[in-house]
Amino acid sequence: MTGVVEAEAVTKRYGEVLGLNGFSATFSEGITGLVGPNGAGKSTLYRLLAGQLKEDAGRLTLLGYPAWGQGEFRRRVGYCPESPALFDWMTGRDFVTTLLRVDGFSRSEAADRSARALEEVDLTADAHRRLRVYSKGMRQRVKIAQCIAHDPELILLDEPLNGVDPVGRAALSGLMRRLSASGRHLIVSSHVLYEVERLTDQIVMIANGQAIAQGDLHRIRDLIDSRPHVIDLESPDPRALARALGGWDHVVSLEFPAPGHLRILTRSPDSFYRDLPDLVLREGVTVKAVRSADDNLDAVFRYLSEGRR
Amino acid sequence: MTGELGRLGTVTWLSFRSGLQGLRAVGLAAFALFPTAIVAAIASAHPAAGTLSNAALDLFSLLTLPIVAMVILLVLAVAQFRTEIDSETLVYLSDRSIARPTVVAGKYLGAAGSALVFVVPAGVLPLAVAILGGGTAYAAAVPGAVAEAAVLATIAYTGFFLFLGLVTRSALLVGLLFGFLWEELLPLLPGDVPRITVIFYLRSYLSGSIASGPLSGYSGAVATGAAVAVLVLVPVAFLVLASLVFRYFETAPEKESA
Repeated sequence: MTGVVEAEAVTKRYGEVLGLNGFSATFSEGITGLVGPNGAGKSTLYRLLAGQLKEDAGRLTLLGYPAWGQGEFRRRVGYCPESPALFDWMTGRDFVTTLLRVDGFSRSEAADRSARALEEVDLTADAHRRLRVYSKGMRQRVKIAQCIAHDPELILLDEPLNGVDPVGRAALSGLMRRLSASGRHLIVSSHVLYEVERLTDQIVMIANGQAIAQGDLHRIRDLIDSRPHVIDLESPDPRALARALGGWDHVVSLEFPAPGHLRILTRSPDSFYRDLPDLVLREGVTVKAVRSADDNLDAVFRYLSEGRR
Repeated sequence: MTGELGRLGTVTWLSFRSGLQGLRAVGLAAFALFPTAIVAAIASAHPAAGTLSNAALDLFSLLTLPIVAMVILLVLAVAQFRTEIDSETLVYLSDRSIARPTVVAGKYLGAAGSALVFVVPAGVLPLAVAILGGGTAYAAAVPGAVAEAAVLATIAYTGFFLFLGLVTRSALLVGLLFGFLWEELLPLLPGDVPRITVIFYLRSYLSGSIASGPLSGYSGAVATGAAVAVLVLVPVAFLVLASLVFRYFETAPEKESA
C-alpha cells in the first residue's frame, strides 16, 4: 500500500553530523506518531517534509510529490515547526490571516478561516494580542492554527504538545482526533511517549536517524518479545526473592535498584507471570507489587533503540 | 483565491511592516536624523547663507548616500532573509505554495519600501533645515533630485544586500566592507575604476540633474539616463540571482544537528 508519506533510505547530513541515516518508513493514513528521543532526527525529517531541507540520498515523498519542491501541492500540507519563533510584532489573528494570504486565499476567506482556526485552538479571546506577549503554550497553539487554517490533507506537527498545559494538551489531542476523523492525515512527533500513545497505536520509532520500528504498537510489542523484559518487584525481603528467582533459566539478571526493590530481566515474561504465584506460595516470600516497565511505549522504545546499538 | 500578484502584495506588506518594527527601527530612525543634526549644528554657527546650503548638499553626497543610507539599507535588506533564517521564521513563507521568486520579489519590495521611510527624510530633511536655518533657497530641481537619488540608492543597494543576506551568514560584515571599501575607495582611483561602483552612478545622476552647486560637474559622470539604467539593472540582476539561489536554498538553520 502506498503511504501518505514514503521514505526510502533517506539520508541527510549536516556537515559531519548525520541528521537522518538511511531512514525508511511508510506513514499511513490517519494519525501516525513519530517517536524518538531528542536528537533522533525527528525535526530533520519534518524539515525535509516541509521542503526546508533537501535529502542527500534516498527518496522522500508526501502525497505522492517529492518533498523537496514547491508548488500548489504545498497547500495540501500544513506544517507546525518545533521552534517557538514567530513574527512577534504581529497579532495572533494577523499572523494566521497573513499566512493564509501568502497561500493565495482572498482577504475575506483568509479572515474567516483565520477566525475558525483560532477558535479551534481556543485563542479567539487572545487573537488581537501581539504574539510577543503569548505564553509558550499560546505560541504552540497559534502555530497549530496557522498549520490547519488552510484545511490541509496532511498535517505535520513537530512536538505540538510541547509547552502546552494539561488542559490545553487534552484540547489539542481532541482536535487532532477530530482532524483525523474528518479524513486528515497527521504525523505527530514527540519525545514524551505517553503523549503519542494516547493519540494513536500507529507509530514510527526513530533513533540515531533511522526508523527502528514501525506499525501498530501491538505489532511492535511482538517484535520485542524475544528481547529481555524488565520487571520491577517490591518486597520486604528482595534478597530472598532473588534467591528464589535465580534458578529460573529465563531470568537473565537480577539487581537491587533501591531498598525493598528487585529488578529482574527475563527473556520470557509470560512464563514469569505464570510461574510467579506458585513461587510465592512455595517459597513463602512476600511480593507487595509487580510492575512491568514494558507496559508503556517508553519501554518499547528503549528496547528497540538499545537493540540497535 | 488570489493570484501570484496578491501573494506578492502580501509578502511585500509583511516585509515592509517587519522593517518598521522594534528597537531596530527606532535606531535606524535616529541614525537617519544624523545628517539633519549636523546641518542644524552648522546652522547654529550662523555661516554664510550659501555656505550652509552647499554644506547640506555636500553632506548628502559624502555622508548621507555612502554611509547613512548604506547602513540603513544594509540592515533592513539583510534582515529579510538572514535574520529570518537565524530566527527560524522564514519557514512560514518557504513551506507555503507561494513561488520562491515571489518571496524574493516581495521581500525586496518590502525592504526597499521600509528603507525609503528612513532614507528619503535622511536626504531631504537636511536641505529643509538648511533653508530654515538661513541658507540660500535651492533651485526647484535640487530637493527633487536629492529625493530621487535617495530612491535610486535604495533601489540599487537593496537588491545587492538582499542577495548578500541570502548567500552568506556574514552578510552584515561583507556589506560593511562593500560599503566602506569598495564604494568609498574605488571612486578615488583614476580611470574607469569608479564606474564599477554604485556610488559613481548615483553621483552621476545628481550631477546631471542639478545644474549648479557642489553636486554638479561630477568628474567623468555618465549621462543621467545611463546612470538610471545601471542603477535599476543592478538590483534586477541581483534579484534574478537571489531567486535562483532561493529556489535551491535550504532554509533550515545550518547549526541544527537533528
